[in-house]
Amino acid sequence: MKKYGKGMASIMFGFGYGEGFPDHSIASIEIMEDERIQIKTAAADVGQGVITTVIQIAAEILRINPENFEVIQGDTHKTKNSGSSSATRQTYFTGSAVKKAAEELLANIYHYGSIEFRSNHPELGVENGRIFLYDDPDDYITYWELARRVKESGNRLEAEASFFPVTYEPDEKTGQADKVYVAYTFLTQVFEIEVDTDTGIIEVLNVYSGLDLGKAINPKNVEGQIEGGTVQGMGMAVMEDQIIKEGKTLNAGMTDYLVPTSVDIPKFEHSFIEDEDSEGPFGAKGVGEPTLIAASPAIANAVYDAIGVRFYELPITPSKIKKALKEKNEENK
Amino acid sequence: MKQENNQPISGTDFKNYFQPSSLKEALEIRDKYRSEVKLVAGATDIFVQYNEKLHEVENWLDISRIEDLKKIEKKEKSIFIGPLVTHLEIIKSDLINKHFSALSAAALEVGSPQIRSRGTIGGNICTSSPAGDLLPPLLAYEAKFHLSSRKKSRIVESDEFFTGPKKNILKDSELLTGIEIPISDAEVYSFWKKIGRRKALVISTLTLNLVLEFENDLIKRAGLAVGSAAPVPVRLKKIEEKMLGKKLSQLDYKKIAEEVKNRISPIDDLRGTKEYREDVAADIMVNALEKIEKERVSG
Repeated sequence: MKKYGKGMASIMFGFGYGEGFPDHSIASIEIMEDERIQIKTAAADVGQGVITTVIQIAAEILRINPENFEVIQGDTHKTKNSGSSSATRQTYFTGSAVKKAAEELLANIYHYGSIEFRSNHPELGVENGRIFLYDDPDDYITYWELARRVKESGNRLEAEASFFPVTYEPDEKTGQADKVYVAYTFLTQVFEIEVDTDTGIIEVLNVYSGLDLGKAINPKNVEGQIEGGTVQGMGMAVMEDQIIKEGKTLNAGMTDYLVPTSVDIPKFEHSFIEDEDSEGPFGAKGVGEPTLIAASPAIANAVYDAIGVRFYELPITPSKIKKALKEKNEENK
Repeated sequence: MKQENNQPISGTDFKNYFQPSSLKEALEIRDKYRSEVKLVAGATDIFVQYNEKLHEVENWLDISRIEDLKKIEKKEKSIFIGPLVTHLEIIKSDLINKHFSALSAAALEVGSPQIRSRGTIGGNICTSSPAGDLLPPLLAYEAKFHLSSRKKSRIVESDEFFTGPKKNILKDSELLTGIEIPISDAEVYSFWKKIGRRKALVISTLTLNLVLEFENDLIKRAGLAVGSAAPVPVRLKKIEEKMLGKKLSQLDYKKIAEEVKNRISPIDDLRGTKEYREDVAADIMVNALEKIEKERVSG
């Protein structure tokens, strides 16, 4: 028999290293003569999409199509420290550093533009990679041409910036400080599941997520983060189990150490709460790790809703469910 | 420390790679090299077994080019399946779907699309894993296996073939050359269930296959086989016998389920506990009988 249940869990997650660590990111950006804008950052894109994100941020600030960008990433000759791709920090830290660098660059575009047009910046417009006088928009200079002219004068059309927010070590006794982490991401998820009482197998049907992320710089990317993180959380809740016997891992391979496959993945619905409430780029907060955390407690709650049994140990395997159901039946006899 | 993978792309580290196009040649090579030659068809098991140590194999006998072993044929009272027929071909075969739907259902739940495209029925049989998904249906449908050596041929019952985990009666001079399954004229109903810890790419925790043939509402033949519940896939003949000559309504499902539980001998392993397998086998047996009952009512 299949028994339906739903369960909810809410989490908060302070991201970045926090706790007074000197966590920061440095980025630079340059307009090249050959119609490219080059961003340099050491931020590693391991599939999470930080490169897409920083291009979007720079394109927004510089008012130009994202297609014009290229990114040099993680080259020790060319890039400075961006910190690790961990702690759910790259959008916030490197996104901010790139945003600041792009703002510096925009200011330089105005600066050199005002020299070219012999005018003041309030008279100047910047749009689609061009700078022009409001009085005569057809008489424009492209960024690329401007870069060439700046180079002729012995300079470069470039900027560098760092993002270095301060956090404080929490008090040893109270755990409190003015700011332990740069910001907090919140997530609430509701899981709908079915428990097969004959086989003890849990099927996750639907997952509804409400994510307070400040601002979704790339909504598709955020969906990917939610789905990917949640599926990992599901694996933790119902499958992943390192079995060690006499110091040896018995399932040290993907044949027996199970994680969900594409056909085990449920349907998702998401809603974003975009309060722009952080000091991150456009108010964005990190969404990587937070997406993994709610799955286990939400699934455990859903299992309780379905069969009335509380589990306090992960993963909740079919063997455990079947045994618990048997014990429950015997109690009720 | 992890050892370096010494396997080159094109084999220079084995002595012989035989790829005959006829059964006759294959049997000659098999006869000459015996246990010194490693058989390979779809390679889905052997590549896992020999992952990063393929160089340990000196002689390969690749039978995958023998066209004669790839056919599905209808005979007068049986269907003959070549050992090189893949799981995908089983799923797609109208003949097999029509007569042995549980075999199709089992093939559909094997591994992943890639494994189903390459893995063969003969490989599943000869690997002889207690968790081989096609094996319970073959037992329940009373399949016969055709075995041949260079000099002799013999036909064995499927439930006499398996002797232990990954062990069978195939001699080192023999090849499996065909699987023959009798077709019934009676009204046939079947039930297949695979219990695994996820929906794809998973070794079965338990499988159960029930086939019932009816004549005038009476059970004329019963085939019941369970996988991953003993050292070999097992056919539960004692329980089959108790159902014979009876109507479904005369059966005590719970009692039969209890018998199933008592007649299997599963172990605790990574995929489930002994207790789990026993309890689930019993519950699934009830499901099986209820499903067939329902199907018969709805016609």
